[in-house]
Amino acid sequence: MPDEKVPVIMVRDLKKIYKIGVNRVHALDGISFDVYKGEFLAIVGTSGSGKSTCLNMLAGLEHPTSGTISILGKRIDKMNEHELVGFRRKHVGFIFQSYNLIASMNAEENVAMPLVFRGTPKDQRVAAAHKYMKLIGILDQAKHMPGQMSGGQQQRVGIARALVIDPDIIFADEPTGNLDSGTTAEVLALMRKIVTEQHKTLIMVTHDSSIAAAADRQIRIVDGRITEIIEAGRHSDEDK
Amino acid sequence: MRPQDLITLAIRNLLRRKTRTVLTVLGVVIGTASIVIMMSLGLGMSRSMVELYKSFGSLTTVTVYSYGSEDSTKELTDETIAGFGRIPHVTGTSPVLNVDVQAKCGSAEGYLQLYGVTQDYLKQIELGSGTLPKPDQPELELIFGNMASRMFYKTNASGRFRADDTEEVTIDPVTDTIFYTFPEGSQTGSGSGNAAGSQQGKANAKKYMLQTVGMVKGSAEEYNEFSWGVYCDIDSLKTFLKKIYKKNLVPYPKTNKKGKPLSYYVYNEAYVFVDDMENVSAVQTRINDMGFQANSNMQWLEQSQQTMGMVQAVLGGIGAVSLLVAAIGIVNTMMMSIYERTREIGIMKVLGCDMNDIRNLFLVESGAIGFIGGAVGLALSWAVSFAINRLATGAGQAIIGMPSSDGISYIPMWLAGFAIVFAIAIGTIAGYIPAKRAMSLSPLAAIRNE
Ligand SMILES: Nc1ncnc2c1ncn2[C@@H]1O[C@H](COP(=O)(O)OP(=O)(O)O)[C@@H](O)[C@H]1O
Ligand SMILES: [Mg+2]
Repeated sequence: MPDEKVPVIMVRDLKKIYKIGVNRVHALDGISFDVYKGEFLAIVGTSGSGKSTCLNMLAGLEHPTSGTISILGKRIDKMNEHELVGFRRKHVGFIFQSYNLIASMNAEENVAMPLVFRGTPKDQRVAAAHKYMKLIGILDQAKHMPGQMSGGQQQRVGIARALVIDPDIIFADEPTGNLDSGTTAEVLALMRKIVTEQHKTLIMVTHDSSIAAAADRQIRIVDGRITEIIEAGRHSDEDK
Repeated sequence: MRPQDLITLAIRNLLRRKTRTVLTVLGVVIGTASIVIMMSLGLGMSRSMVELYKSFGSLTTVTVYSYGSEDSTKELTDETIAGFGRIPHVTGTSPVLNVDVQAKCGSAEGYLQLYGVTQDYLKQIELGSGTLPKPDQPELELIFGNMASRMFYKTNASGRFRADDTEEVTIDPVTDTIFYTFPEGSQTGSGSGNAAGSQQGKANAKKYMLQTVGMVKGSAEEYNEFSWGVYCDIDSLKTFLKKIYKKNLVPYPKTNKKGKPLSYYVYNEAYVFVDDMENVSAVQTRINDMGFQANSNMQWLEQSQQTMGMVQAVLGGIGAVSLLVAAIGIVNTMMMSIYERTREIGIMKVLGCDMNDIRNLFLVESGAIGFIGGAVGLALSWAVSFAINRLATGAGQAIIGMPSSDGISYIPMWLAGFAIVFAIAIGTIAGYIPAKRAMSLSPLAAIRNE
């Protein structure tokens, strides 16, 4: 078993300290873990435990105070902002809690947007957007504006947008946080589909253990430290 | 990002906030139009001024004077004038051999100025009809100024002016036969040439019939520098005068210390023609340095142009203030736009939009405001300029007396081009700080949940 696992992300002794006045908040207090290719990983913990901080640093949106992050063999923590943006453009898809679609663009344009940043010609962009919207099951809403869509539909557009650049890794911060339970189940099923069918590595942050249970593996964080790593028993061999 | 996507996105962003975009553009429109109109007035004025000076005489001609110089090297002789011809940029020279003649045509008569000049000079005269006199002819051929026939008046039998006669004298110098009487001149060796002396001799002086071969262009009301004179070839005139005045050469010759008339020609005036307006003042300075008094229309034009330059700068400055206000408007609009779009910019950054693309997006947006404002402003300027010219042609001519046939507001192509480029530049510069700010916005703004 250990041989077939290839780590795409390696985190070592990652710390993040926020200084608020004279106080120092240890949002992350030295965490280390690996994420493997094709894995669905959940980072779970109560509110304020440091999950988002962790994810933001993995996505290169924030600089760590100390520690190292390697993604696909590259040291994210050493990159400047220009390089980080470029890295995300090439390798990273992002799913937001509040969908974050551009209100003035229709679904299709929202999905195609990351390709605009890559300089892909329009016909190729539209083709790719249609491909992933079909996969996610929202092709019929291609011309709808975000304001005309339900939360679940918007999040599907968000997922298609994360997929459109064919990324190596997808980050999702509370992707179901704004959805009702029925839609949550659908979105989780979609994410599972992405991992198994598209062979993406997916890292999801959630405060809800039952949602985290949909992942292959869960990392539980309490006060900026990893307290528990739970391997899901997809194949019957679980527990110690 | 591909440039076409950048532009499309920028335009969509501008259209999203139509009212604000329109208002910001309006500021640029007013700013551009005020600069262009102000400058067009300045340019129109200076163009009218150049035209005005041109009507006074060629702008590439330097006039050299010499009245009664003691120093014979400072006399205007054929030799010294040939010296002017060797100054760089001088294309030709001409002394002026000037004779007062009395002309008679039927019952009308008048006093005319006959100018003997070189072919260099004659070439500058624009003819309305006929040809130029050929060089060095035994017979005198004349060019008549288009207004010179107005010098004629009717006389009664005793040769006196008939005050009661208001009848217009119309003479066509080319077809009508005109007789000329030349001044009697001073006696050889008798010293001073007194004009009064010629009066009594006139009655029995010989009359010459001279051929007019050409007319200066223009009607009898259209003034130009050649309008009042009668011109002929200088060498032909010299030959002709020698027949009348023999050794004196001219009616009133200068004399040497012994009281003998000089054996060479001394002129009071000469013209020096320069290849370009640019070089006129240099040539003029050279001639002054040689000890002669020289004048040119260009000299006066240059002085007026300096004044006009200041007027233009003031007018342009007034326009520039309104464009500055417009630029502040652009900065304000772009700043507001950034605050509104903080989240959107964050999303773009999270999704991998290059920071330079974000900056360029904002620069293109503000540049587009500048471009649209500049283009509309220019169109407005043309309309206003047209209206000004329409209203002012009559009034302008009456008040300023300038030949403002082309209007007092003038927008040359370079000004139009400059206006557009300037408006784009203002827009882009005004957008620079906002664009920089947008570029460095934190992507985390997009992640935060409200
Ligand atoms: N930008 C920030 N400045 C100061 N403190 C922060 C900042 N972001 C997060 N924190 C603090 O760090 C801790 C972890 O926050 P976060 O990672 O957002 O938690 P979670 O996503 O698990 O709810 C919290 O105590 C939070 O108050
Ligand atoms: Mg969080």
